[in-house]
Amino acid sequence: MRVMVLMKADKDSEAGVLPDEKFLAEMTKYNEELVQAGVMLAGEGLHPSSKGARVRLSHGKSTVIDGPFTETKDLIAGYWLWQVKSMQEAIEWVRRCPNPQGVMEGEIEIRQVFEMEEFGPELTPALREQEERQRAKAEQLRQAAKR
Amino acid sequence: MRFMMLMIPKGYEKAAPGVMPDAKAVAAMMKYNESLQKAGVLLALDGLHPPSMGARVSFAGGKPRVTDGPFIEAKEVVGGYWMIQVKSKEEAVEWASRCPASENEVIELRQVQEMSEFPPEVQQAAAQLLELRAQSEKRMGS
Repeated sequence: MRVMVLMKADKDSEAGVLPDEKFLAEMTKYNEELVQAGVMLAGEGLHPSSKGARVRLSHGKSTVIDGPFTETKDLIAGYWLWQVKSMQEAIEWVRRCPNPQGVMEGEIEIRQVFEMEEFGPELTPALREQEERQRAKAEQLRQAAKR
Repeated sequence: MRFMMLMIPKGYEKAAPGVMPDAKAVAAMMKYNESLQKAGVLLALDGLHPPSMGARVSFAGGKPRVTDGPFIEAKEVVGGYWMIQVKSKEEAVEWASRCPASENEVIELRQVQEMSEFPPEVQQAAAQLLELRAQSEKRMGS
C-alpha cells in the first residue's frame, strides 16, 4: 500500500526559516534509509502559506484568498509518498524521523492513498484506462521536467 | 514552477473508515484531470483515505507519540492532491478555479521548494538528496 506522510507546518516553516546543515544531514541520512529500504517514492517541501492561495468554488464562481493562513493549525510544510506493507510499518518509519530540538515541534500525519483496485465496478474499464493513461502521461512529464 | 493543489473537503475530518468517493464526482474529476494532462500541467495526483484510517505522530519533548485517527482536534484535513507544473501562481489559481469541486471543498495552492532556490551551502549539503530522488524515481518508473 502507499501512504502519504504529511509534515505539519510550524512557526519556523511558516516564517520561511531554512533548515540548518545539521538537520539537513540527519534528514538526508533518514531519506537514504527510506530509499535503501525501497520505501521512498517521492518527497517535497512546500513554501510557507504566505506564498500560497486558497480557492473556494461556489455556484460556479471562485473566490481566491491569498495566504498566509494563520487561522488554521492544520497547515502542512511538506510530504513524502511511501510504499509500505502496513500502517504499522509507516508508523515505525515516522517514529525514526529526525527531530532536532526546535526544528520540528509539529506533527506528522500518515494517510493511506486510494488505489484504483479499491474502487470496484464503478470504475469502469474505460474510466480505468483513462486514469492509467493520465498517470503514464504525468509520469512522462515529470521525467521531462527533471531534464 | 511547481504547485501542489491540496483538496480540503469540509467534513472529511469526521469521515468513517472505508468511505469511498461518489462515482459521479469521480467521473467529473477525471474529466478535469484529463484537461490538466492535455495541457501538459499534471505531474502527479492521488486521493487519500479518511483520517479515521490514518495516524499522527507528535514529537513533543523529542519522544514520538502515536495517535490513531480520527483526529478530534483537526478542523480540516487533506482529501487528495495534484502536483502541477505552471508558469505562475496566477496560472495555478486559474486551474484550481476550473476544478469541479463542491461547495464544501477548498483548494489550497502551495508552491513547491525547488533545490535551486536554496543558498549554495544548503544546496551542497543536500546534493545527496538529488541522487536519492533519482534512485527513488527509477524505482517508481520500473
